Amino acid sequence: MDRGTCLVWVFGDYADYFQNRVTLQLIAKGKALASELGTRVGVVVLGEDIGQYVMEYVAHGADVIYAADNNALKDYDVELFTAVAASWVEIFRPEIFLAGATAFGRELFPRIAKRLRTGLSADCVALEIDRETGAFVQTTPAFGGDLLADVVTPVMRPQMATVHPGIFRELPHDPFALAELIHPPLPNLPERKIEVVRRRKEKARRASLTDAGVVIVGGKGVGSRANFDKLFQLAELLGGEVGATRPAVNAGWAGEERLLGQTGKSVRPRLLITIGTSGALQYTAGIRGSETVIAVNRDHSAPIFGLADLGIVGDADRILSLLIEELNRRL
Amino acid sequence: MHIAVCIKQVPDVAAVRIDRERMTIVREGVQNIINPSDYQALSLALALRAGLGGTLTVLTMGPPQSEEALFEAIAAGADRGVLLTDPCFAGADTLATSHVLARAISRLEPLPSVVFCGNNTTDSDTGHVGPQVAEELGLPQVCGIFEVQPESLQTLLAKRVRDGYLETIRAACPVLFTVKGVSEPVLLPGLGSLQSAFSAGSIVRWGRNELDLTMDETGLTGSATRVWRLRAAPHRTKGEILTGQAHDLVKEILKRLEAMSLVEEEQIHG
Repeated sequence: MDRGTCLVWVFGDYADYFQNRVTLQLIAKGKALASELGTRVGVVVLGEDIGQYVMEYVAHGADVIYAADNNALKDYDVELFTAVAASWVEIFRPEIFLAGATAFGRELFPRIAKRLRTGLSADCVALEIDRETGAFVQTTPAFGGDLLADVVTPVMRPQMATVHPGIFRELPHDPFALAELIHPPLPNLPERKIEVVRRRKEKARRASLTDAGVVIVGGKGVGSRANFDKLFQLAELLGGEVGATRPAVNAGWAGEERLLGQTGKSVRPRLLITIGTSGALQYTAGIRGSETVIAVNRDHSAPIFGLADLGIVGDADRILSLLIEELNRRL
Repeated sequence: MHIAVCIKQVPDVAAVRIDRERMTIVREGVQNIINPSDYQALSLALALRAGLGGTLTVLTMGPPQSEEALFEAIAAGADRGVLLTDPCFAGADTLATSHVLARAISRLEPLPSVVFCGNNTTDSDTGHVGPQVAEELGLPQVCGIFEVQPESLQTLLAKRVRDGYLETIRAACPVLFTVKGVSEPVLLPGLGSLQSAFSAGSIVRWGRNELDLTMDETGLTGSATRVWRLRAAPHRTKGEILTGQAHDLVKEILKRLEAMSLVEEEQIHG
């Protein structure tokens, strides 16, 4: 097989593997970027008994795997993983290093970037090589999401970015794919200073929002707490869960655990009904994986209609009340 | 115990508007506030200090008016404020920002046992600064906590929600926490007062010289990233947009729900 350079790297975040596909999405995107740059895509996999993940990453397009299978790396630890990943970057000098903007990715990557004194962009929604300048352009929502900032790291390497889950599409599983497997040397590992003493599933109601098949979301345009409470009725009628935007949470209509978007949860239901939400990227970043989106908003120029399959221009409360009434009649 | 809290003054994003024609942010009449998760960090720090005693120092980097945020923190019970301000700090990305903050924290006496930061700011929202300050200070980090309590003289127990799990984490001091999701952050009243906030010596100002930093380490020149351009988020149209009578609109919604087999089709009577 081709043993060329491998200058585009992806951090193999395998936590919650079957739910969290962002590493696979980044392998696909990394492969496309690598082919533009005339190089290959590699995945860094750290842990113990990681064989199954390595096989999955190869089947989904990784050209090279940089692996450490070691008992000391058994559980995720920011300091340990930083030490290993940063030392490998110094050996192999990749040009680009990507990670999913998962809870762990967003904690790990700033630390690696700082150790390497390089630049990092956060929660990107697009990545591309600029054809004119060859710059690696990392697009990230700015100022509450109404603007997009194209960020570059002109001098320092690698160019690092965390990427919002659900933006890119993974490659189909190819069981016959082959890759190069490298076990680079491990640096001296720091002591573990953080210990998770208890871990239990959050209350069912909270946890299920991210898995719900139907999600009803309310924003500032819902108007009042009493109106917002109707979202719960609607959710009940459709067997769904309720989410909220930042302004609705700030107004006290819903708890922080229902917050969707950049600083909250991401959902990917079959159906999402979003009511009285203008559609700031800060929020929509969390709903992009939804299959069908129905939006209700009074303002026909609201950006939320840009991603709705069905847009309803109307008064949130009036539509909500009629819909509940009609569903009650039918069920 | 010495506790340090890093805070940032941000425009109240709920009130900020974007001028799409000129691609600028309309800040007129927009109030500056303490970044919400920094405010939560301050509330946890004050509660921890109330239990353990000790000193609480609040730091902020920003233009001179950021001093307001320090006054607010001291009025709520912090002992002193450090204003990190210098024209050459402007335009810093998270690498350069964390450098100034970490340098300032390393100059505090005694060195803090616990450093708190907000998890992320509402204006640039990277969430990088906390981990990067921890990295430069060589501290372990625990991100996204909403509660922290002393366990022993040297260890703390913190709680956070991660990937649908409630985690309890033991951390030995010194440690850096980033805070988010505190449901009702309160700055305990009565501990501080506006009078102490405005008393002489409660706020010190440090610039590049006081921190022994070179121009190359700060601001835009000390940053690894550049914002190449800003553009409006695209408005794309995907589906159909309907206007009309509420009854007809609700019928259209019901049709979609029927098509997805979420409700049964209307029986036609008579």
